[in-house]
Amino acid sequence: MSGGPLIVQSDKTLLLEIDHPDAQACRMAIAPFAELERSPEHVHTYRLTPLGLWNARAAGHDAEGVVDSLIKYSRYPVPHALLVDVAETMDRYGRLQLVNDPAHGLVLRALDRVVLIEVAKSKKLAGMLGAKLDDDTIAVHPSERGRLKQALLKLGWPAEDLAGYVDGEAHPIELAEAGKDGVKPWTLRSYQREAVEAFWAGGSGVVVLPCGAGKTLVGAAAMAEAKATTLILVTNTVAGRQWKRELIARTSLTEEEIGEYSGERKEIRPVTIATYQVLTSRKKGAFTHLDLFGARDWGLVVYDEVHLLPAPIFRFTADLQARRRLGLTATLVREDGREGDVFSLIGPKRYDAPWKDIEAQGWIAPAECTEVRVTLTDAERMAYATAEAEERYRMAATARTKLPVVKALVDRHPNEQVLVIGGYIDQLHQLGEYLDAPIVQGSTTNKERERLFDAFRSGEVRTLVISKVGNFSIDLPEAAVAIQVSGTFGSRQEEAQRLGRVLRPKADGRQAHFYTVVSRDTIDTEYAAHRQRFLAEQGYAYTIVDADDVLGPSLPSFD
Amino acid sequence: MTTSLADHLRTLSDESLAALLRLRPDLVVPVPADVSALAIRAQSRVSVARALDGLDQFTLQILDAARLTRHPEEGGTSVDAILALATTGPHPPAPTAVRGALDRLRALFLLYGPEHDLHLVGGVDEVSPYPAGLGRPAAELAPRAAAVCTDPAKLRRTLLAAPPSARAILDRLAAGPPVGTVPPGALEAPATGTEDALPPDLVNGGAPTGSPIRWLVEHRLLVRMSAVKGGGTVELPREVGLLLRRDSGPLGPLRTSPPVVATPPREAKAVDSAGAGQTMEVVRQTEALLESLAAEPAPVLRSGGVGVRDLRRLARGLGLDDSTTALLFEVAYAAGLVGELDLTGAATTRYGGDQQILPTGGYEVWRASSLAERWEQLARAWLTMTRQVGLVGQRDDRDRPISVLSAEAERAGAPAARLAVLAILADLAPATAPTPDEVLELLDWRAPRRARGREAAHREVLAEAAQLGVTGLNALTSYGRLLLADVTEADERADDPLGLLSDAESGEPSTAVRALDALLPAPVDHFLVQADLTVVVPGPPDPTLAGELDVVAEHESAGGASVHRVTTASVRRALDAGYSADDLHALFRRRSRTPVPQGLTYLVDDVARKHGGLRVGSAGGYVRSDDEALLTEVLADKRLEALAFRRLAPTVLATPYQVQRMLTALRDAGYAPVPEDASGATVLARPKTRRAPARVPVATRGLDPLAAPRLPMPRLLGVVEQIRRGEAAARAARRAPAVVRGGAARTGPAPAHTHSDALAVLQQAVRDKALVWVGYVDAHGATASRLVRPVSIGAGYLRAEDERTEMLHTFALHRITAAVLED
Repeated sequence: MSGGPLIVQSDKTLLLEIDHPDAQACRMAIAPFAELERSPEHVHTYRLTPLGLWNARAAGHDAEGVVDSLIKYSRYPVPHALLVDVAETMDRYGRLQLVNDPAHGLVLRALDRVVLIEVAKSKKLAGMLGAKLDDDTIAVHPSERGRLKQALLKLGWPAEDLAGYVDGEAHPIELAEAGKDGVKPWTLRSYQREAVEAFWAGGSGVVVLPCGAGKTLVGAAAMAEAKATTLILVTNTVAGRQWKRELIARTSLTEEEIGEYSGERKEIRPVTIATYQVLTSRKKGAFTHLDLFGARDWGLVVYDEVHLLPAPIFRFTADLQARRRLGLTATLVREDGREGDVFSLIGPKRYDAPWKDIEAQGWIAPAECTEVRVTLTDAERMAYATAEAEERYRMAATARTKLPVVKALVDRHPNEQVLVIGGYIDQLHQLGEYLDAPIVQGSTTNKERERLFDAFRSGEVRTLVISKVGNFSIDLPEAAVAIQVSGTFGSRQEEAQRLGRVLRPKADGRQAHFYTVVSRDTIDTEYAAHRQRFLAEQGYAYTIVDADDVLGPSLPSFD
Repeated sequence: MTTSLADHLRTLSDESLAALLRLRPDLVVPVPADVSALAIRAQSRVSVARALDGLDQFTLQILDAARLTRHPEEGGTSVDAILALATTGPHPPAPTAVRGALDRLRALFLLYGPEHDLHLVGGVDEVSPYPAGLGRPAAELAPRAAAVCTDPAKLRRTLLAAPPSARAILDRLAAGPPVGTVPPGALEAPATGTEDALPPDLVNGGAPTGSPIRWLVEHRLLVRMSAVKGGGTVELPREVGLLLRRDSGPLGPLRTSPPVVATPPREAKAVDSAGAGQTMEVVRQTEALLESLAAEPAPVLRSGGVGVRDLRRLARGLGLDDSTTALLFEVAYAAGLVGELDLTGAATTRYGGDQQILPTGGYEVWRASSLAERWEQLARAWLTMTRQVGLVGQRDDRDRPISVLSAEAERAGAPAARLAVLAILADLAPATAPTPDEVLELLDWRAPRRARGREAAHREVLAEAAQLGVTGLNALTSYGRLLLADVTEADERADDPLGLLSDAESGEPSTAVRALDALLPAPVDHFLVQADLTVVVPGPPDPTLAGELDVVAEHESAGGASVHRVTTASVRRALDAGYSADDLHALFRRRSRTPVPQGLTYLVDDVARKHGGLRVGSAGGYVRSDDEALLTEVLADKRLEALAFRRLAPTVLATPYQVQRMLTALRDAGYAPVPEDASGATVLARPKTRRAPARVPVATRGLDPLAAPRLPMPRLLGVVEQIRRGEAAARAARRAPAVVRGGAARTGPAPAHTHSDALAVLQQAVRDKALVWVGYVDAHGATASRLVRPVSIGAGYLRAEDERTEMLHTFALHRITAAVLED
């Protein structure tokens, strides 16, 4: 018995006790093949999946190495059957290869003829394979490359893609680490550097970093690595402009080199930032803007907030397999369960860092999460008790009783920039009036939004009430307190994204506060528990307090 | 020769004779009457076969050498002759190795006699007819073949001239066995002019070759032994075989020592660790299997065994594949952990069987023992069970699937196969990890006669051993080795019939258990609680901790550690089970090695706060009133004490007694209660008098029950109309004359109306176009009659028109019985 930090479970999860002295070394050893699933404070959970093992094979790790590190760090004997299973799974990778044949273009070549025969017979691959060139080779149309890879993955015979990537149209891009136009010199953070290196080595893939940890810079560094024309897909116009600002400040790119392709403007330049919305807009049932993908010979496609990637883009991404693709996200949990599609179309997860690690390094602000439970008045409880099932969440979430609690919370942080985030417009208007604060919602124009955000950044506006538009991609570095009053049911990633709004490191290293106000004994509490799961698994321990503690005369001292 | 072996045996000392009997124990079952009987038995086919079964490949080859070097007439051979033959090959074995093999053969008395005059026992030739895989000498086979073989130069030339396909056949037969079956037609001369795959026969002057076998037979390189419809068998003469074996030596390739395992050895620690991990896994899976059997016992099929559907269900529940589940099931049965229970009475299952499989009492004992002991019980059961689990799921001779625990999977040789395979592993250096193919190769060398044809079974043994953790990473584990030694020693304890040396009864764990125990993690009594409300037990929990966690948390993942999650439901379950919130806080504080997160504390308090917020009970009846004072009076009323009122709320009293009794008691006490029904409405109750069921009074009946009923006029008119209509119908339906109707024609006195008369009548009717009654027998043999107007007669048929239906009918004339003109 080695007394290592790792415990291997029968269901192929790996438990890593992080207080163990060898924990760090063990994490480095298992990270290439095991996927981090949960990272609460004491025991992190990794999972061995076929996909993870195959990615490890693709990155040059062999089964022997995987088995060795499992045995080396395992506290208890590892079951023989599991080791055999690992070896067998990894052995399935690369029996088929996608290669560029000088004569026939893209072909599927078999190192194991039987596998090719089995695969060629499968109905799932019907139409993806072309003519049989010889016993070991089948022609593949380049446009089917993505779909074929995905289908082979589902059949359990992942193909090794040796066909490489097109370089795209070259365009000089450098990181301006020396400083530029008044920006102080800076350097890429170590984890950003690691993320870019992992991405570049893998060719395509997804980088998962917490909100506020500087994903834009990972994108910029990847562009500097590619030195080619780049298409950046973002969620909305405001986010697009933030990207543009950041790119101008942090890279050698100038304003003229960056185009915006949105509902307002349709510029195609060496670096083009497009919104998902405009790409998925249809005219007479046809996607009119998908030509953008072919407008230039893009060398790199960056997907911001890849967890929100809409389904039509999924389909189109399948055709882009010859181009390098970088997905950026903080929370790869999709409530539609399509995480697997993201991995197979954009690429596997190339880098993932536990939030608490980044926090420990000081790159995101430490945050204290508090759930405030409000007791409904008897009248509200009565109304709730008799409400229809579909109305219940709205009733509980928008209870008026929450207003004084929100006010008390805002007052508790008199010197901080406070965001109040909610999902129901009526409630936001009530809050706006009650707190005397401006509101940013879906119908607010881009111009007005920019104005309010600028005012908030400058400190002119101290409290801002925002709707779901604030769920992602708005950069409000000075916000230190977020108060969530209602949300989209039990969405885990929404909760994480909202927390992300306050995670930008503060100038003086202050702590960030995240409050979520829920109605006690209602469905609101249940949804809140579900919403918190992702963050709880990232090690954010919610403190639950009663509203009376917030409202009461004797306020507990909060640092 | 028999006598000479007997003579030889007689000269032996007691010890030597005992040594022989020790090596060949089958000779003494039953004990032979005398030495000559012993000698006869030692030369019998069965006993010799047994002796040969245990020999390794090299020794068998040396035995073959002895057979080949026998003097044709006297049958004797010598050590020198054998040595000379064995060392003629390109890689001659060391003479000492050959001598060693000879010593083994002589010890077994397969060879006997002095070194210069060795004799073989008789049975050997019967057991294996072809020494060293060589055919009989050509002289014994066919004179013409012998003629070819006498001229080595010509023989060589013929061989060199053989076309490649023929040469391939020769090489195959030369490697042994030397007999091949010929497909029908292969020996026929090819039809002239047909295209042939083989080039023309140069030796035979360019004649077409035909099949390669035909070529070989034609050239006397093969001798045809029997002919069956153009096919049959052919044998390769010994001389040709020896010539073909020039490169490998007359006995074929000789290997004095077992093949070497090329796979690099593992670390002993890694092997033990992988095996130990597997033992934990197999014990855990077995326990899960038994638990699910306890929850839902598996019905026994009528034909024996457990059906595939139940096996699948169990496998799905465990998350295992069918074959692993079958193995665990069989092992648990062999270990006495599950057994059949007869279902009494009519409680038959849907399969019609009347037995169920469920855990036995032994399971309780097993569950209480340590992990290593539990594993040992399973592993011992596996080693000794006479079951070949690999057969489960395959089909038997009658193409029916073989089910778990059924008689079809019973194989008496299974334990021997397991021991043979594991012995191979045990004989290798510790942590040597041969691949299955290498193990089979070793088995093939060690006892070729036993290994051949059992490769599948041996592979199964290897797979099962890995599954059970007896091996790890393909190598035998240290504790597996000890267990194996223990099991094989058990046989040798026969020397100790009184069990004096045995420690089995001493209650001490066996060495294997102790070795395994050292590898397994010790139980832990603490856990780690995290903010996401998961509870991780970093090792196997001790029984009390496991019991506590079963109540307060949901199980999430098992293995080396176990992960549980505290949920609202699990906390409520704990509260239901009698824990208070404080108990739960104390439990988490005591067991957790990390600070208890505030979220968990809050969850427990929150659930506890709500726990019991609703109270449910049963009552026979209640009393409610808006007047609280009145209820207080009722509660305090001494006369109503017997009703045992309990005040549920200021306005409600409850009693365990029924409403009627309460009503009576309350009324007796002078109150004025009103009963309510389930919806709260007042139940009005007037005093009821009892009545018998209603009866029809006599007065409503008619005066004279026997008088005919009187009919009113409209009804009478209706009756009349009905009669008239019937009359009209009867008139319309003219009846056929009696003679035409069935039966009457034959019995009645009207011979004139015979068949020929009928024909005459019909012919006349055709001319007159008159209506005729025709009587006939229909296809079903029934008689019928019809009024028709004949149209024509011809070709044996009458065609006639039925005026009423306006249809043309055709009657077969031979079926017409009568015909009468309509008047």
